[in-house]
Amino acid sequence: MPKRLAGSYRRAEGPSTAPARFRQGPRTGDRRGAPVDWDKLSLMILVRAPLRISFVGGGTDLPEFYRKHPGRVISVTIDKYVYVLVNPTPLVDKFTIKYQRTEIVDHPKDLEHTRLRAALLDLGMVQSGLEVGSFADLPAKTGLGSSSSFSVALLRGLHAYRGRSLSNRDLAEEASRLEIELVQEPIGKQDQYAAAFGGFNVFQFNAHGPVDVSPVLLDYRKRSALEEHLLLFFTGITRPAASVLTEQRSRVEEHFETYVAMAESVGEFARRVLEGDIRGMAHMLHEGWLRKRSLASSVSSSVLDGLYEAGLSAGAWGGKILGAGGGGCLLLLAPPSAQAAVRRALEGRAAQERLAGFKEIGVRTVQSGTDLVYRDQQPPVY
Amino acid sequence: MEEFIRGFVGDVTRVMSALPVQEIARAINVIQAVYERDGRIYIFGNGGSLALATHWVSDFNKTVFSHNLESHTRRFQAIRLPSTEEELSAWANDVGYEMVFAGPLQNYLQETDGVIAISSSGNSQNIVKAVELAKRRNVPVIGLSGFDGGKLNELADVKIVVQTEKGKYEIVEGIHAVILHLITKYFQDYFDHQLARRTAGA
Repeated sequence: MPKRLAGSYRRAEGPSTAPARFRQGPRTGDRRGAPVDWDKLSLMILVRAPLRISFVGGGTDLPEFYRKHPGRVISVTIDKYVYVLVNPTPLVDKFTIKYQRTEIVDHPKDLEHTRLRAALLDLGMVQSGLEVGSFADLPAKTGLGSSSSFSVALLRGLHAYRGRSLSNRDLAEEASRLEIELVQEPIGKQDQYAAAFGGFNVFQFNAHGPVDVSPVLLDYRKRSALEEHLLLFFTGITRPAASVLTEQRSRVEEHFETYVAMAESVGEFARRVLEGDIRGMAHMLHEGWLRKRSLASSVSSSVLDGLYEAGLSAGAWGGKILGAGGGGCLLLLAPPSAQAAVRRALEGRAAQERLAGFKEIGVRTVQSGTDLVYRDQQPPVY
Repeated sequence: MEEFIRGFVGDVTRVMSALPVQEIARAINVIQAVYERDGRIYIFGNGGSLALATHWVSDFNKTVFSHNLESHTRRFQAIRLPSTEEELSAWANDVGYEMVFAGPLQNYLQETDGVIAISSSGNSQNIVKAVELAKRRNVPVIGLSGFDGGKLNELADVKIVVQTEKGKYEIVEGIHAVILHLITKYFQDYFDHQLARRTAGA
């Protein structure tokens, strides 16, 4: 948990009141060699966004579906995070972008990182002397929504850097626009909403009008019981999400009734969550997974099927591959008494399949969404 | 005498049975989220409501963890505003009574925090001013109001209105105390449960 550094900064005074000189990010002085006026700089900002587990309804957040029938998804955020750090570099007249690799460019248009390039250009943040870094508890492409968590964290950070505070809803919409419209990723909106709002939620995606966000108001006893039944394994296979979803999107019409059934099952799943009926949830996860497998050939594979079957044979009640499919994480609900056997069975199977990266991930659910967890000293008139 | 007492208890019972349970649950979620991000909770009100705020801060910062104080290294950071009488009188005297909460709140408020505003009418100017400040910064606001909820209930993200006829302060304030104790008790049980889980897992 990040620690607040008490008294180390002045507080922001309201959104979008930053004078024009902050809106473009830092300036290094108009003349070469002019002294840097540090008082005029927005300073370092750190944002944290949670990953999520999506239970049922994934895919009905694709516009090909929800433009014709309300899409619904139920998900919960977990205690694994993506971090984005935004920092001015007044002495380095470049854009320095650090993720799995480092890019140093003169103008954001030269960046290879698609979402960062699009976000900086869209916000008009073309004044050099800016550093953005991203860090994460888990690798990308695990099916836990990390790429959208990154986008939400990035936008919260860039807006804060420019002196703006966004509501969770605006943040989710901006992140969706960035990924779907500007970068043209073939994805839906569920992950952006999950990361921005945080917690256990049902999202309904409507053809017209805003996304409905309904929190599933679960008390700590039921939340703990669910966590005690929940097993999450990284398969060691990273999935080509875009290719799975591109195939899936092109075949929405063909499978329309399956999508309707998936969307309709969300309400029933939410009821079982509220009743603490974990076995019933597992049963619905299993059914949902079978439906999802039928939507695109690349959603599952013999290796994934083998792992899932091994888990069920060892006593798990049900589960699914998280995210778009094709790899990533396997979620299982299993009674505590069977968990040791399930772990052994999966480890055995993973060894047989030579899945070097196979690993269990311990998770807890979390309530908080995408937070600005640290902000260095503010410009005084902000 | 007994008739008077039964009448009062009857009124309280009727109002209690119509409480917005879902909104109280949402308030608990908001507080849970603030705890997870190590934020602070600012609480304030006028007169009796200020006394409720102070009482709650004491319970929340200590009583919630009192079964095992030493095991809970990270606790709540609940703060009643203004935190000193000097600030209260300084803001009221120098700037205006409508700034006694918004003024001090501005010194503290950060993105990771949460706010609980208590006002029976929901229309106290100084409460509304402070809530507007929090809203501008997208800090979640839990509004504890009475009567028809007033402006506070319109503005708050979590709308806990204890609906009564106008002027029934004694019922509204009493039930506000019950709701605040409910929240304290929830988190006390929650942290006891967490500790039991940790101990069982160790």
